[in-house]
Amino acid sequence: MFRVITTRFLSDQLFKLNACLFVPIIAALCILPFGVNENIVMIMVQIFLYMALGQMWNLLGGYAGLVSLGQQMFIGLGGYALAVITEIYHLPMIVGLLVGGIVSVIFALVISQPIFKMRGVYFSIGTWIAAEALAVYFSNWTYVRSGQGFNITVSYDLTTTDMYYIAAIVGLGAIGLVHTLLRSKLGLALMAMRDNESAAETIGIEIYNTKLKCFLISAFVTGITGGALYLSIAYVQPYAAFGIDWTVAMVFIVIIGGIGTVEGPILGAVFYVLLKQYLYDYPGISMIILGIIAIIIILLASRGIMGAVHDYWGFEIFSTRRWVNKSR
Amino acid sequence: MTSKDLLEINNLNVHYGELQALHDISLKIRRNSIVSIIGSNGAGKSTLLNTILGINKPTSGSVLFLGDKIDGMQTNRIVAKGVSLSPEGSSIFQKMTVKENLLMGAYLPHTRVNTAAKLEKVYRLFPVLKEKAGQQASYLSGGQRQMLAIARAIMSEPKLLFCDEISLGLAPIIIQDIYSTIKEINEEGLTIVLVEQDVRRSLKYSHYSYVMLKGRIVLEGKPSELLEGEVQDAYFGLNKYIKC
Amino acid sequence: MEIIQSVLNGLLLGGLYAVIGIGMSLIFGVMGLTNLAHGDLIIVGAFVCMTLTAQLVGSVWAAIVITVVIMAAIGFFIQGFLINRVLDKGAEPALLTTFGVSICLSNTLLLFFGADARSISSSFATANAFSTNLFSVSSVYLLDFFIAICVIAVLHCILQYTYFGRSVRAASDNIHAAELMGVDTKKVFSYAMALAMVSAAIAGLLVGMTFIFYPSTGTQYLIIAFGVVVIGGMGSLLGTLLGGIILGLAQLLGAYFWGSGYQLLAGYLVLLLILTVKPEGLLSIASRK
Repeated sequence: MFRVITTRFLSDQLFKLNACLFVPIIAALCILPFGVNENIVMIMVQIFLYMALGQMWNLLGGYAGLVSLGQQMFIGLGGYALAVITEIYHLPMIVGLLVGGIVSVIFALVISQPIFKMRGVYFSIGTWIAAEALAVYFSNWTYVRSGQGFNITVSYDLTTTDMYYIAAIVGLGAIGLVHTLLRSKLGLALMAMRDNESAAETIGIEIYNTKLKCFLISAFVTGITGGALYLSIAYVQPYAAFGIDWTVAMVFIVIIGGIGTVEGPILGAVFYVLLKQYLYDYPGISMIILGIIAIIIILLASRGIMGAVHDYWGFEIFSTRRWVNKSR
Repeated sequence: MTSKDLLEINNLNVHYGELQALHDISLKIRRNSIVSIIGSNGAGKSTLLNTILGINKPTSGSVLFLGDKIDGMQTNRIVAKGVSLSPEGSSIFQKMTVKENLLMGAYLPHTRVNTAAKLEKVYRLFPVLKEKAGQQASYLSGGQRQMLAIARAIMSEPKLLFCDEISLGLAPIIIQDIYSTIKEINEEGLTIVLVEQDVRRSLKYSHYSYVMLKGRIVLEGKPSELLEGEVQDAYFGLNKYIKC
Repeated sequence: MEIIQSVLNGLLLGGLYAVIGIGMSLIFGVMGLTNLAHGDLIIVGAFVCMTLTAQLVGSVWAAIVITVVIMAAIGFFIQGFLINRVLDKGAEPALLTTFGVSICLSNTLLLFFGADARSISSSFATANAFSTNLFSVSSVYLLDFFIAICVIAVLHCILQYTYFGRSVRAASDNIHAAELMGVDTKKVFSYAMALAMVSAAIAGLLVGMTFIFYPSTGTQYLIIAFGVVVIGGMGSLLGTLLGGIILGLAQLLGAYFWGSGYQLLAGYLVLLLILTVKPEGLLSIASRK
């Protein structure tokens, strides 16, 4: 009973909820840099960017059923695009970020040809291999200074506040994008596919195209996020840029936060960034703890924290459900 | 329970989630008999078999084998007690040879004795298996696979053999062959339960019959005493057998 | 010609790669699980072996025996407490659980041993078994190949001629039918995992003797293991050997034509090619249902 009331209440009142809750939150986020100290701002930068990564991984893994272990290829491409555009061509960094997104989409399109022929675990490892291949290639490519990498000098002139707004736009944009997508026709197709792929096919949903669109969209956003991340890191180098550690972060963020929910990656990102901050002096331990927590969650609450909240209390902030007016 | 009963099921209820698949099933299997459980698709026969073999756990009720409670036990422990199943669709080990399939039938430690003699017996009952002993099982025809499944199931010298839909998809002459072998095996002392959609033949060969419909037993009795019309009605759910 | 040296090395290395892949092939065949922690488990084996060798001065062979026992125990533990529980939940949770284990392992190694390059010292490391004008055969490569053949032969005998081996094959073939034969499939899983761990321990020893390794090297060997299994086809020991050789040749020839920096890349490209064109592998016996 309570469950029905909560969900109905929220979706019926969704617009009012948006107004009451989101506007103040967004407003607070906008003026945040002016009110708090720089460390907290940098933490927020991390949260926004990891949130975006998580949303994209979730789009692929939680909705489209594509468990990608190779998203780092787009992060690396985004980071390198930023580096090349700003260091070699001396163009503004916004161009660098956008080019990162575009290059990622193009690469995704190319790699989708072989990769989408692979199913299940083959797909997952295929994406991982593609990323590793890029790492090796880039470390031998003199145009991008091989194993040495780039110092991204435009970062040095960037204030923390500027970085914050860039990250906020990317992060909040990612949430907005995912939420909009899921409420669109594509979203319906995704949910149909998630429940029963062959049934979805029989009603006309083009599985391949739907999955491909998700893959390209996630490539684009991940590429831009990668550029933004490297804007804050200021130094790009092949094995780190194309390293599996990025995917580790994404997987854990989504699993702990809640796979297949929009709020999950938000929670997961906060959790991840705070854990890393707290254990900054002990780098290895934070990953071990993360790994253990992720495993426990998979065993006990496989839909993650937000998934459990969904299932037990029917509480959704970003509801992607639709209501049909019933006549009683 | 008398000592003549090998298997006794009392008031068995099984659910798949919220859906009730078996309602209050009670039956007895007497030693040395052939019992048939017949019913159309969806009548619950497979669910019943799966529950007896430990693949499903019942919601309530009991399954007793030789007086021991086997409901809720793990499949491999139930099999170790002397219950054997020739599964629907044969379910043979495709990548193994015919002979290896048969040897797997005598996998349990206490069944590993006299393997050569058992193989001979099985080859006598199903000569085609001897011919194809060294071949990979995936090359067998449907009828041959069914024979392999039954042969494999008797390698462990079980006390009770369940045959799930052995006539499915087979040519009548092959079915005839298999059924006469079933009769032969039974005459040598094995209790057999036939779960079938083929009403005529299973009634002909069995000593006692149960008809299932929508998860319930709606008719039972010796085939000689059951009227053909009665059985038809029960099978198809006509007249007095409709409860919902 | 130098190409002969590359081909020879590729062949010999193929043996090592086959041993790396065997554990993964076994787990996938029996449980349908891709163990993403396999590469890291090999490196754990290498570290354990290295530490034991350093303490038990001079005896790599005593060290490997102890390593094998430790690794088998670890495998049993992981299987019983973790994997058996998650297998019922579906393919993704199981895959991601092994991913979690992989991360825990590599970071634990980093914590205990630091990020330095390591190797297992032995008299084989630098010596050459024999040399001619055209090519030379490195002792350690030859040892790797020899041990690989032994491991494959022993495993083949176990699987083919013992009741236990038959139960493993039955469980990989048709798990429900295996249960009906009285096979305790959960136990078979645990034993299969222990066997896979034994092969990982041996692979760890060989890797440690042949190359330098770091706590993070697991990824590289995971991809090699996966590659070997995919190229050779699931469920075929001979296929695993063939897969190892093909991968080894691809890598060494890639290095020959494009430079040593591209060795790994050549392997990845061949692997991606095969995954695209014939994912069930070159020698697979039957397709999985």
